[in-house]
Amino acid sequence: MNFDHLHLLLNHVPIIGFFVGVGLFVASFAGDNADLRRSALIIFAAVSLLTIPTFVSGVGADRTIAREPGVSEALVQRHEGAAMLGLWFVVATGAAALVALWRSRRPAGVSRGNLAAILLLAAIAAVLMGRTGNTGGDIRHPQPGAAPGAAIAEGTIGSIIHLFEPSPDGFTNLMVVNKWWWATMMVMHFVGLSLIIGVVGAINLRIMGFAKELPLAPLHRLLPLAMAGLGINVLTGMLAFIGMPAYYAADIAFWFKLAALMLLGLNVAVFYLGGIFDRVERLAPGEDATLSAKIVAASSLLLWFTVIISGRYIQHFEDSLRF
Amino acid sequence: MDAPAFLNTVERSGLSTWIRESESAFAYYFVLVIHNIGLALLVGACGVLGARLLGFVPDLPVAPLRRFFRFVWAGFWLNVVSGVFLLIAYPTKALTNPIFYVKLVLIGFGVWLLRRIERELSSDAASRDVVPAATRSLTLWMLGLWLGVLTAGRALAYTATYILYGKGT
Repeated sequence: MNFDHLHLLLNHVPIIGFFVGVGLFVASFAGDNADLRRSALIIFAAVSLLTIPTFVSGVGADRTIAREPGVSEALVQRHEGAAMLGLWFVVATGAAALVALWRSRRPAGVSRGNLAAILLLAAIAAVLMGRTGNTGGDIRHPQPGAAPGAAIAEGTIGSIIHLFEPSPDGFTNLMVVNKWWWATMMVMHFVGLSLIIGVVGAINLRIMGFAKELPLAPLHRLLPLAMAGLGINVLTGMLAFIGMPAYYAADIAFWFKLAALMLLGLNVAVFYLGGIFDRVERLAPGEDATLSAKIVAASSLLLWFTVIISGRYIQHFEDSLRF
Repeated sequence: MDAPAFLNTVERSGLSTWIRESESAFAYYFVLVIHNIGLALLVGACGVLGARLLGFVPDLPVAPLRRFFRFVWAGFWLNVVSGVFLLIAYPTKALTNPIFYVKLVLIGFGVWLLRRIERELSSDAASRDVVPAATRSLTLWMLGLWLGVLTAGRALAYTATYILYGKGT
């Protein structure tokens, strides 16, 4: 498996995505353009989802190029530290964007304060992604004249940001130093899983025709519980990955799980942006959903169970990938 | 104190050895997958029922939600069966760990509460969609117990004194 290429394929997405997203978001305030704002929020959510495989493939790329002569370990470490700082701002922006998209459907809408918070998060994320891209580029294209192993010259902004960047190995050790911390993260991951599958399962089953006496709208209002579960699981999942990056990156079941999660992102996009949700939103007791809605609901259920099953198989498929 | 000898007998049986040592993806980790799906069904469905009974979405009719008990019990029985297989694979590991017995007791109370809540929802009063305060507190206990079962189950992976008969951690 060539993670080097996968990483190169994905690594411009967070940077370009966030710069475009911030641009659209700022532009949406001029003239108070709600559609433009919605587009920016969707971009933040989608790009933060894609940032996860970008981050994860970096570990595989690291293992691949570490064998090559002339690659400076210090530059790789600096890039990983930059990514580990930026990741949280990207994911937090994505989460806040999802909450704002959810709230924008309600009459009260999204408050100015919330939008300002998203703008701040997104701007920081864009800067940190830019820095991550720059430090990553330096690995293959070191500054001219820099001797291998020489101290890294930072600009003013870079040296300020660097103060906040974790040491990659330090962060990894922090996650695995105490087994009770690890056990706590795993318990939280299972609780999050239950919240997601319970709420998403109930909504999908109702759309598919189970318990038809239930109106969809109040059932759908339980979705924040599933979003909380997703938040818990992205957080604990990424922390677990940082704790044992090489272990997960070399595991086929882990990549299968990640692929299913990306497809779920597509599934959610088809459901909410493809006009399907608008048709099932006011499904009354006894009313049947359209076939397209049923197909999207069934594939969502199938994909979530794929996520659970492949997640549980990660231990079995330890060391199943060579790179 | 030494672990009782019958644990060794179970561990040496063909089934126990196969579940534990087979390289097949359909051995130990398959049983764990089933156990995980059972957990997702049981705790997930309980979470949705609990959210309604605690008053999160008051305009969701209660009576049709009873149908979700089907998933609760499907998850429960999946986990009884898969749990027995896990116990056959690692009898010493489970039975020498006090947390395993805590888990069983919590499951007992959890099932008892689930059955009580299910009965209350089957009575005519449930069709009124107003959840009595007593049912609400039962629901809180029920959710807390299953959270405890989940936590105890996870903790079994980190608290074992023996992994196999005569083989400490």
